[in-house]
Amino acid sequence: MAPSSTQQVLLSPAELSYLHTSLSLDPPVRPDARTSSQFRPLIAETDILPGTNGSARICFADGTEAIVGIKAEVEKSRPSYQASADRNVAEDDDDEEDEETRRDEQLAKEKKGLNEWVEMSVEIPSFRDDDSMPVFMAAMLSEALLADGAFTNKLWINRRFHWKLYLDILLLSQPLSYPLPLLSLTTHLALLSTRLPRLKSEEDEDPLFDDDWAASVFLYPRTQSLIRPPVTLLVMSVGNNIIFDPTKEELAVAESVLAVSVGERPQEKSQGDMDVDSGKPARDLRLLAIRTIDPPSRLTPAGVPNTLNTATGGTAAGTTEQASSKRETMEEEGVWQPPRGGAKRKLIAAMIQAVLARGGVAEEVLDGLDAVELG
Amino acid sequence: MADRRRINGPTGGTSAPVFSKYVIKSPEDGSDRPSRTRPGNVPRKMFLKTGVTPSASGSAYLELEASKQSLTSTRGLASLSTSGLKLTCTVHGPRPLPKSAPFSPHIILSTHVKYAPFATRKRRGYIRDSTERDLGVHLETALRGVIIGDRWPKSGVDVIITILEGEEDQWWGDDRGRAAAGAEEWGMMSVLSGCVTVASAAIVDAGIDCVDVVSGGVAAIIREPKGSLMSTMLVLDPVPSEHQEILAACVVAYLPGRDEITDIWVRGEIGPLRSNEKSFSYEDLANNAVQAALGSHRVLVGALKETADMKMHR
Repeated sequence: MAPSSTQQVLLSPAELSYLHTSLSLDPPVRPDARTSSQFRPLIAETDILPGTNGSARICFADGTEAIVGIKAEVEKSRPSYQASADRNVAEDDDDEEDEETRRDEQLAKEKKGLNEWVEMSVEIPSFRDDDSMPVFMAAMLSEALLADGAFTNKLWINRRFHWKLYLDILLLSQPLSYPLPLLSLTTHLALLSTRLPRLKSEEDEDPLFDDDWAASVFLYPRTQSLIRPPVTLLVMSVGNNIIFDPTKEELAVAESVLAVSVGERPQEKSQGDMDVDSGKPARDLRLLAIRTIDPPSRLTPAGVPNTLNTATGGTAAGTTEQASSKRETMEEEGVWQPPRGGAKRKLIAAMIQAVLARGGVAEEVLDGLDAVELG
Repeated sequence: MADRRRINGPTGGTSAPVFSKYVIKSPEDGSDRPSRTRPGNVPRKMFLKTGVTPSASGSAYLELEASKQSLTSTRGLASLSTSGLKLTCTVHGPRPLPKSAPFSPHIILSTHVKYAPFATRKRRGYIRDSTERDLGVHLETALRGVIIGDRWPKSGVDVIITILEGEEDQWWGDDRGRAAAGAEEWGMMSVLSGCVTVASAAIVDAGIDCVDVVSGGVAAIIREPKGSLMSTMLVLDPVPSEHQEILAACVVAYLPGRDEITDIWVRGEIGPLRSNEKSFSYEDLANNAVQAALGSHRVLVGALKETADMKMHR
């Protein structure tokens, strides 16, 4: 039997019921007194591993800590018989100007990367690497990264060679809360700090690189319109309340949990879509991926109401069938019932709206990450 | 340790030969490319039957209609063949947990999704790879919300799905040694939606209490040339080989009786929140996926009724 996707929560039904009641108040009262969209404080640093092309470390206040190291290798591309066939056709053409423009077009078309040029591995202590949780996390993170296809195009060197990028994501602490946002933020920072040596060779020669590390180029160049890697955020709902960055205890009573990946499109200068009040352009946010995460609350034990408990003067049911049918029909306040069914369609839409809306949580997180000093 | 008990194929996988005369002319004229003959809001025909495996406590088989052969491809080449989706699901349990297992107040649900080695163009191994595990996690999420788990303390149930014929991720002619970026694994979405529907049927067949029957549905935003312009469209139940470019896709596991979603999976770039004439929003996509799920729900209910009638009259 596979273990559940998060660690077993050691809370009694009474404690769960208390948490659930306080989180379904309006506004919700969280155990650590945060507001519903407030994040836990974190410590972040980049360029910590000298042997990598880019690295980052993030430490949450609850003691969870993750390190990401990114290594790049030059690899031979698989030969593409389609490309060579097309090139032969192009060479037959006499018109030189035509040929040049065509070659540019051809190049743009060929500069397509493949998803297999990125390899991601997630390591979480106390999980085997073929357990479902690390596999699920790696799939979620790489799916967001590869969603628009622009990322792999950066790894193209020439027709014969490309960069192969290895992203190794390590969780150093125990997975106290669901570690997906931590891993995603660390990966984001590591990708921002990734540098590749400057290419000196031209066209389809064997690639030769500048050995001066100071001349290296960033994978995400520091220009005005900074394109950024995606971030994945965890959103949960209790009743109609939408709560961000849940802790382990909050997840134990969640009715639905979503992981939402958000990317940012580069600003288009011509539109002049400036926010007059702040003087800062609004971010053009894109939804890249959504996944439902199985909330651990479904695995919690249900509470026993007083009327069914002989210790409090009730009468216990004769069989387990009777007990469950009695318990299920009872809607007693203060008696914990693990949630059933899924999330309402409207609620999921509202959760995504809360992430993506202007001035919403995704913008706040990206602003916060902007403030991290990059090495 | 290598698998020595079976005669295995080459580890790297093999693919059918693709002759250059098909390759060179393919992308522009697109005569061999299969095209969608159904309207955008019509899902594929579905066949669903429960109770196919006598030894399991519950089982179901699902098949989706294969897309029509295009006119020119009557050459009988292996690589021109198209495939629908064929899934079989068995449910074992609820059965008592072994004595060594710790106490569980709920039923312990474990899901296994496995591609048969011959299910896809590229051969799959016998050991589950990461995409199969990923599908398993999705399926588990979709089913866990439906099963009333606390009626079976200390017991376990296994849901095992074998994919006999998988959905193709792209048209074979596009796979020219270098796949187009992002074209990968769109077929997984249809497979997951089929898995949810077939598992739901098998669970009902096994007689496990559920809050509602869950059914899967897929919708996708595609970009296709229409005349000289590229236009984006929303389609239900996309077949990846029929579309040149899929921008985003969404799978839902939907409970029609409660209007709830137990599992949602969206991939691909989706534009701003509000939809305009050029782009579609998340809500459009999700609502269309729900429509597709309602379609498969009708088939599901029909199949369950059929089995129930048969059992009553026996």
